[in-house]
Amino acid sequence: MGGMELLETRALTKRYGSVIALDGLDLVLEPGIIGLVGANGAGKSTLLKILLGLLAPTSGEARLFGLDVATRGVEIRQYVGYMPEHDCLPLDMVATEFVAHMAQVSGLPRGAARERTAETLRHVGLFEERYREMRGYSTGMKQRVKLAQALVHDPRLLLLDEPTNGLDPAGRDEMLDLVRRTGTEFGLSIIMSSHLLGEIERVCDHLVVIEEGRLMRSAPIASFTGRTGVLAVEVEGDAAPLSRRLRDAGLHVREEGHLVLVALEDERPYDLIRDAAVDLNLGLVRIEQRRQSLEELFRDAPEARDAAVA
Amino acid sequence: MPQSPEVAGSIYDLGYRHYEGARLGRRHAVGAVYFQSLRAAFGLGRRPAAKIVPIALTLLATLPAVTQLGIAAASTREIDVIKLEDYYVYIQILLALFGAAVAPELVGRDQRNRTLSLYFSRALERSDYALAKLAALTTAMLMLTLGPETILFVGNTFTGDDAFGYLRDNWTQVPSIVGSALFVSAVMSSVAMAIASQTPRRAYATGGVIAFFVISSVVGDVVASTAGRYGILISPFDVLRGATLWIFNAAPNADESIGRYDLPGALYAAVLAGAAAVSTAILLRRFARLAA
Repeated sequence: MGGMELLETRALTKRYGSVIALDGLDLVLEPGIIGLVGANGAGKSTLLKILLGLLAPTSGEARLFGLDVATRGVEIRQYVGYMPEHDCLPLDMVATEFVAHMAQVSGLPRGAARERTAETLRHVGLFEERYREMRGYSTGMKQRVKLAQALVHDPRLLLLDEPTNGLDPAGRDEMLDLVRRTGTEFGLSIIMSSHLLGEIERVCDHLVVIEEGRLMRSAPIASFTGRTGVLAVEVEGDAAPLSRRLRDAGLHVREEGHLVLVALEDERPYDLIRDAAVDLNLGLVRIEQRRQSLEELFRDAPEARDAAVA
Repeated sequence: MPQSPEVAGSIYDLGYRHYEGARLGRRHAVGAVYFQSLRAAFGLGRRPAAKIVPIALTLLATLPAVTQLGIAAASTREIDVIKLEDYYVYIQILLALFGAAVAPELVGRDQRNRTLSLYFSRALERSDYALAKLAALTTAMLMLTLGPETILFVGNTFTGDDAFGYLRDNWTQVPSIVGSALFVSAVMSSVAMAIASQTPRRAYATGGVIAFFVISSVVGDVVASTAGRYGILISPFDVLRGATLWIFNAAPNADESIGRYDLPGALYAAVLAGAAAVSTAILLRRFARLAA
């Protein structure tokens, strides 16, 4: 299956009555760590469920590893792991037994299932507690078991639906780190959905933005953030005259506290800032190039976003 | 390999390897669901409370056979108190209760825990899952049907004076024993599964199965005695009785109501087969439509 597209959808549409969850989605993705972002109800979960065969599309088609999900589901699913957004664990079972059972349902022989279970639970950070009923687990531990059952059969593609759901900030960090390492170190492809851009940015190298069931963007993360450098300029005294002066010179400028943020679209700003500081007799404390986060990009500057991906 | 200690609370990595071994696919996946469900039917791998009801019902269903065996062993004469074809009359209530207790465990639990998403995103189809569950309950119920029937037959063979003589005269019973046990188990299981699968709530499922047997028995009797003898075909235990008599090619006892109605034995069997087919269709439909 190497060298082939990971995923391809053509005019993929899903309606629930009068509600359209996916609206003619055309998407092609290469293997990698892919973030799927969009507001709640944008169609992220629906897309993942169609890929898994849990939902049938109303029209259109979807392929994973070049195979049609409508007709080759069982074959495909041997190589796919899925971590749902919702609770899905039988809490009266012991974690090892449950994960080993799930490995067998993915097609692994009994012995291999047990070995892989031990390795995978260790990988996600469950040790002695894996011999206990899951009833007493914290949310973080349950999320780890959910990830483990998705990984235990060594899939080529991991579909993670909001994997940090319900976690506290520390648990969130650990889960994101774990997902990132799982993807990079073991060479698995991952499609991870989130409504938080910041999470996607930390973990993924490709971003897919869906809104109201339609594809808004699909591009490497670097292309969103790389080309829109921002210079943060700190001066002694009042920053307002400087920002006015730079804006008059045709630059995109924004003030943030006592900082002046300047969009770095070419080399011009450096000279302009220097000249302006001299003319205005301002003391320059520092000029720093910032890598703008995706979240800032989308929240604050829609025109910058368009420039970034144009 | 020594591991470097990490900060407490962080995630340790002791190495993750790729799996290069066999992937056995759909049949293996179905087998895994079947065996897991068979274990779950008797509460194996679960806390002790989960074992009490199914194991108690199994023991109760076996009790008449063991009792007869004990009496026969203690006496010198050949004792044949309970006929093979009559055994189902003793255990029919237990079979219904077993279905009411175990079917919700097998088809309601994964709905309740929302584990279906994990099953249906693996190497099997929804129908595979449903049929594996049905096969597991049928197999479990064989412990209550084929088990005591076998005890009776083997007991009768060896407690008499002439084991070979008994076998020579009665070997034709063997296909009837196996056939009736399989048939009854499959029918009772599929009916219980069809009803229990309709809800994730355990209490409702159990109540539903029991209510079905009670209500249809009463309605069947009433209809049969007022509107006509074919009404008896609504009453599940009477149909079960008619079908098992037919399988053993035996006549009802003198005082039995089923003798009065005088319907052909094959008709009872056909009704049961129809009930099993409809129930299985309902079960499959339920799992085809459930959101996962």
